[in-house]
Amino acid sequence: MTTKAEFKQDMPPPGGYKNIPYKRVPAKSFFGGWAIIGGYLGMTAGASYLYYLNCKAVKIRQLEMHSASLAIYPMLLAERDRAYLNQLRKNRDEETKLMANVEGWKTGTWYGEPIYHTVPKNTLIEPNYQEFYVHSSYNDFKYRAHLALLS
Amino acid sequence: MSLSPWLKSPFTDLTGAIVSHQWYGRCADLELQALDCLEAYGLDRGIKKCDLLLQDFTECSLRIKQMNRMFAMRNERHRQYFAGERSKEEKWAAGPKPDSY
Repeated sequence: MTTKAEFKQDMPPPGGYKNIPYKRVPAKSFFGGWAIIGGYLGMTAGASYLYYLNCKAVKIRQLEMHSASLAIYPMLLAERDRAYLNQLRKNRDEETKLMANVEGWKTGTWYGEPIYHTVPKNTLIEPNYQEFYVHSSYNDFKYRAHLALLS
Repeated sequence: MSLSPWLKSPFTDLTGAIVSHQWYGRCADLELQALDCLEAYGLDRGIKKCDLLLQDFTECSLRIKQMNRMFAMRNERHRQYFAGERSKEEKWAAGPKPDSY
């Protein structure tokens, strides 16, 4: 009836099982602690030197730009004043042309009445901003008024 | 201009006009001249005698005439444009250089 199977006991391999790997496996380290600290200090020293060179170059460049702008400042100022006076002249000519047909109008006055009575005749009466732009379109006015926002 | 109130009391002293153009520069000279003139002649005679100085000082501080001139010129330009004496291209003159003011 039932044949008795041949029984075989399962046994460990010869020499025993391998050890269970429970020990920590550290990563391979290329540098020791002192080498890392030394490398850090060395690199920082090198980088500091490069940084110093860079700083010096930037300083020199800034100094150069500053001197240059100081040098051309009087010229820019003079150019601005010249443009201002030129425009005052243009405004005057434009006023003469514009108000030629208006009765009683004299250029530079309010219908013949001078703006100031007691100041000497050749005094420059400075216009304010709106008056300076009185003959130009609103676009020009706007452009100058908002110039600071565009830069 | 005249800083003396018609009725003087401690309260008008308290709220006196203590700000003057001497602090602002542009009209300082004119103000000083006008006040010197008023001081020399007194208020009643000074208003007549210093009329031009007072007018100049008022103009300097308020710029009424300059503003009126500006409005008159603007209006004249618009009038010429709408009356057809001025074409659209030449309505405005070329603007000043942006850095000139």
